[in-house]
Amino acid sequence: MINNLVFVILFLLGFYAILVKKNLIKMVIGLNIMEGAIFYWFISITDRGKAIPIVNGTQVASQMNDPIPQALILTGIVIGASTSAFLLTLIIELNKFTNSTNPDQIGGMIED
Amino acid sequence: MSITLILLIIVPLATAILIPFVDSFSNSARKIMVVFSTLLEFSIGMFIIVVNFNEIMDNSFFLTYYLGQWIPPIGITLSMDMLSLFFSTLISFSLLLIVIYSIGFIGHHEGKYYVLLFLIWSAMHGIVLTGDIFNLDVFLELLLITSAPLVAFKRNRNGTEAAIKYMFYGTIGGLFVFIGVVLVYFNLGTLNFAEISKNFSNLSLFVQKLISFFFLIGIFIKMGIFPFHFWLSKAHSACPSSISALLSGVIVKVYVYVFIRLFWNVIGYEVLIETGLNHVILVIALISSIIGHIMALYENDVKRMLAYSTIANLGLIIAVLTINTKLALIAGLLHVVSHLLMKVSLFTTTGYLLQFTHGHKRSDLKGVAYKNMLVFIGFVIGAGGMVGFPPMIGFASKWFVIKAFMSDGLNWAALIIILGSIFAFVYYIRYIVTGFKKINLGPPDKFRLILTVFYREQVVTDIAFFFVIAVLISGIFFKLLFGPLEGVVQVIQNPSLYINAVLGM
Repeated sequence: MINNLVFVILFLLGFYAILVKKNLIKMVIGLNIMEGAIFYWFISITDRGKAIPIVNGTQVASQMNDPIPQALILTGIVIGASTSAFLLTLIIELNKFTNSTNPDQIGGMIED
Repeated sequence: MSITLILLIIVPLATAILIPFVDSFSNSARKIMVVFSTLLEFSIGMFIIVVNFNEIMDNSFFLTYYLGQWIPPIGITLSMDMLSLFFSTLISFSLLLIVIYSIGFIGHHEGKYYVLLFLIWSAMHGIVLTGDIFNLDVFLELLLITSAPLVAFKRNRNGTEAAIKYMFYGTIGGLFVFIGVVLVYFNLGTLNFAEISKNFSNLSLFVQKLISFFFLIGIFIKMGIFPFHFWLSKAHSACPSSISALLSGVIVKVYVYVFIRLFWNVIGYEVLIETGLNHVILVIALISSIIGHIMALYENDVKRMLAYSTIANLGLIIAVLTINTKLALIAGLLHVVSHLLMKVSLFTTTGYLLQFTHGHKRSDLKGVAYKNMLVFIGFVIGAGGMVGFPPMIGFASKWFVIKAFMSDGLNWAALIIILGSIFAFVYYIRYIVTGFKKINLGPPDKFRLILTVFYREQVVTDIAFFFVIAVLISGIFFKLLFGPLEGVVQVIQNPSLYINAVLGM
């Protein structure tokens, strides 16, 4: 239960940063908080509190933790790192044109 | 087991990795390699169709490839049924022509451009072929992160702004899909499409609702349906025209594939009916359609007008798919084909015509018809198709969409589609009238001579004509498409076919 609660709080915190903050870099940080919330949640709810893989012959699979969530999360972290790196590059590029990191410079996020 | 499926993903991926090395020592070698890989990838797709022609004809077509020989549900399964084949053929066909168009169109930083284009191709085939829900999520992110640099490809302020918006919306959409994946794995302990589909009805109604909701939000953000459409017009208009054609014509169709695959074959359409989500989707999609048309009516920039028209047509496709009768599914898939052909032909002709103008505003297009009459007539034909004039394919697909709405008693929805067509008529006719306005041609522009070197006109106009002719021909012979489309609809409506084919029961 506490896992779900922490996930919801962290996720909404990140979402709040994206909606409210007037700085594109802070918005990227908000995106990272949202990602981190999902990773934390996935790892914690699939934790069975048992031994750590890899199976080395003497143990049985039912006594082990499930390794698949960790593999998925590692992939997720790689994706998250690359998206934030690319977003930061774009923000540097935008800063060259506007001398600012204010999202209102790009017409805000919910206007077109 | 069929090795050709993995080749469809690996060939463009390998090309993308090899291009920088080849580019570093020879420009012309890179050009030859790009054309060769494009033809190779296209011919692999054709090879699959030719070899399995009999199976396709009697609707028993199914290919699988198990990565690392892991038998499902353990490993990642690549599978190709009629639905995947349909979208894979559309992708290969349009990418083949768009790559050739780019050879004539893009005059700078070509090495980087083709790396990203081939990565997009690989990601799209990955999405269409994969049978693993986390793999799908990874390919969706790959598609996002490879298309965003191309949005910012012009390296001006407008493109950068559009790319930042595109990245923010796309990443948040991806996060919602990821939450859906987490919930699926936590509740079912599997990632395989067939295994999820088999066990999904055992879950409690609340969990079913939650999972559908998160996937729906994620896909709609990535697709640009009404409450999340703010990024689309900017992203689809700030890039070079070849990329606009790719984004607006092809990539949004890949998201339509994801929508169909997830909500008909994996989650099951009964869940949406049980939870009442299908009415919500219908209303949202129709609002999206009408808002797209209204925004296009107020828009003064030709490429942004075309982008808003994409929002409108995408809403139409999603709305008609949710009716879930055989006629409606055929109409939706026919509109996928018709919107792809028409939007790509509009963007390719517009991209060529915009080299004669100083900007993208409507007033800049004044008299552009007299610069190259044939290409402008191509633009007129594409626009006529979007409005729904016979004999273009837009007429056939809109006819069936309206028929599908009427046969289900949704006359008000049919009225909205007709109203949208009237709006479309108004906003396209303004550009056509402006284009035909008389101007003094004057002496040939010196600036233009320089441009001609970059644009390699013959290639660009030929590909634009090819798409325009495709719009006309398919509009006359659209009945031929019904045979394969019926096979596709059979796959969509019977998830058990997919489950049995993957799990081998």
